[in-house]
Amino acid sequence: MKLSVNGFETFASTGGREFNPATNTLIFIHGSGQSHLSFMLQGRFFANRGWSVLAPDMPAHDLSSGTPLTSIAQMADWHIALMDELGIKTANIIGHSQGGLIALDLAARYPDRVTGISLVACALAIPVNDALLDMAKNREPAAIGAMTDWGHGPDGHAHDHTMPGQNHLYYGVQLMSANETGALYADLQACVDYTDGATAAAAIKCPTQVIVAARDKMTPIKFGLKMADALGTTDITTIPTAGHMLPSERPVQVNRALRPFFAQV
Amino acid sequence: MTGDFKFDTLSLHAGFTPDARHGSAAVPIHQTTSYAFQDTEHAAALFNLEVGGHIYSRISNPTVAVLEQRVAALDGGIGAVATSSGMAALFLTVLALCSAGDHIVSSSQMYGANVNLFQHTLSRYGITTTFVAPNDPQAFADAIQPNTKMVFGEVIGNPGMDILDVPAIGKIANDAGVPLVIDATFNTPYLLKPLHNGANIVIHSLTKWMGGHGIALGGAIVDGGNFDWGQNDRFPTLTSPHFGFQGVNLYEEYGPAAFITRVRTEGMYNVGPCMSPTNAFHLIQGIETLGLRMERHMANTAKMLDFLTNHDGISWVKHPTLPDHPDHEIAKRLMPKGAGSVIACGIKGGRDAGRAFIENVTVATHLANVGDAKTLVIHPGSTTHSHITPEAMVAAGLTDDLLRISVGLEDFDDIKADFKQALRAASKVGA
Repeated sequence: MKLSVNGFETFASTGGREFNPATNTLIFIHGSGQSHLSFMLQGRFFANRGWSVLAPDMPAHDLSSGTPLTSIAQMADWHIALMDELGIKTANIIGHSQGGLIALDLAARYPDRVTGISLVACALAIPVNDALLDMAKNREPAAIGAMTDWGHGPDGHAHDHTMPGQNHLYYGVQLMSANETGALYADLQACVDYTDGATAAAAIKCPTQVIVAARDKMTPIKFGLKMADALGTTDITTIPTAGHMLPSERPVQVNRALRPFFAQV
Repeated sequence: MTGDFKFDTLSLHAGFTPDARHGSAAVPIHQTTSYAFQDTEHAAALFNLEVGGHIYSRISNPTVAVLEQRVAALDGGIGAVATSSGMAALFLTVLALCSAGDHIVSSSQMYGANVNLFQHTLSRYGITTTFVAPNDPQAFADAIQPNTKMVFGEVIGNPGMDILDVPAIGKIANDAGVPLVIDATFNTPYLLKPLHNGANIVIHSLTKWMGGHGIALGGAIVDGGNFDWGQNDRFPTLTSPHFGFQGVNLYEEYGPAAFITRVRTEGMYNVGPCMSPTNAFHLIQGIETLGLRMERHMANTAKMLDFLTNHDGISWVKHPTLPDHPDHEIAKRLMPKGAGSVIACGIKGGRDAGRAFIENVTVATHLANVGDAKTLVIHPGSTTHSHITPEAMVAAGLTDDLLRISVGLEDFDDIKADFKQALRAASKVGA
């Protein structure tokens, strides 16, 4: 689906089904340097099971135009603008990595618009090491290579994929390379600058769930569990042998964890 | 890319993790046509492309998938589809991109079946091809039309061993909004990864060096995922609603995997040139030693070139690593480890001498294939082209003294001794 958000053409995947704001809406928010494609196998799965799915590309990511947003708060506000544009009153938010920070901020500042949040491979804060930040600013292809490497667990590096014949690492590189230059740096800097995770978690009243990966090098499991503790949620799913790119590496397990939560909220 | 395993490690491991139930260390042969669904929801999810998995072995198969993932990893592609042969790989690539009224720009110096497909088969279905010399980049640029859907060539042309300047032709194609499709059969990813050098799609005949043993036919299409199919309106097969799967737009929903998804969801569904699981298993065994074999192929080829260029019974030798080859500099730049193991040479004494040489070799095998672990020889003048006049052969780019040698992995001393005695026998006939 293409629409205009804040004056810029925006793309949002609907999981291959027509979007209907009158039904329960799921909004999937991608991580740093990623796009709607991160949630390809979640979007199709839930769209074919009665949910209205939106997996937007934030500005300057993949099929959306505009300039990169520079703070987590801006990104949260942008998603509210997207909801307003489509007439969506409330939605369940699913955030991967940086998308999880956005979900935290959304749920804390817009409690009337969020019915629940699912945080996938996330933490209360996502610090980024200086070397990666520098790479993203000055040598973006190197940063994309490094993030694709660190982001995938053993299956990704074994080039074993649930979709026959496909390749996690090279797909990941091409996915990230499709974004506008500078989008990755803006995303990572926004993560560095976001320090309100604990405050947001304390303020959130809606149902929450946390899905963590045992082999996550980018948001290590202990930080995901610490976030779950701060949220006071017991809905925690740990997926063994997976890396940070959980939604694509372990789509079946992620969908299996999300589904009962969606049904409940 | 950063963090990826090196070539020989990928050759042995990529695409396979032992299954939790049996722990088979070798890739199992899943000799089955179909797969039991867990329940109706699982079946529906598979048919809706919501989950990965297998439905029917014409579309995908677990053993074949390991091969596909291994080839994709070796080539640096985002995905691959294995086919029953290299020709099937080329046909499915065209099928995914072209419709009646569309156009292809192709190198003119290619394997005969590739030329025939473009010239005689596709033309009957309204897809036309302009053939241009592989060493003339401007000719590629000039031939691209608004309805051109792909530019095509072989890295190492068969049988002339012309070298395509892949980065230069890739830039020309991409600047015009058209993908470069490369037949990488003769180079394999060991010598050159076209996807990292300006190409967008690679096809292979896995039957040749990739398998290496000459016991299993197979092909593969590898998608680089590095072409923006939505940059213009040339590719409606990828950017318009698919005829199946609730009209999914592959470009929007699959991004870099749009092309390879179309190949599987149309080419394999509707045409079905699938690879057998047993062939996939055999080809996987071959690929496990690809790096080692290619190293030996290159070493033996260098020795063979030295032998042939210094032998009195040979009038000319053609190979891109020789300084007098017109594409020598391009070959050195693109393939520093070697430019393949096929050599063309002329035997003194013409057609009769060629026949005598072929009939006297004992270590080398006389057959119409290349890329086997064994040394292969053929003399087109006395076999495939025996009914053609010398003049007609010249017009076809061949000469009646031409020998084509696919250098194998034997101890070179034995190949050399075999060639020596066969050339001696040929010299008596041709004298």
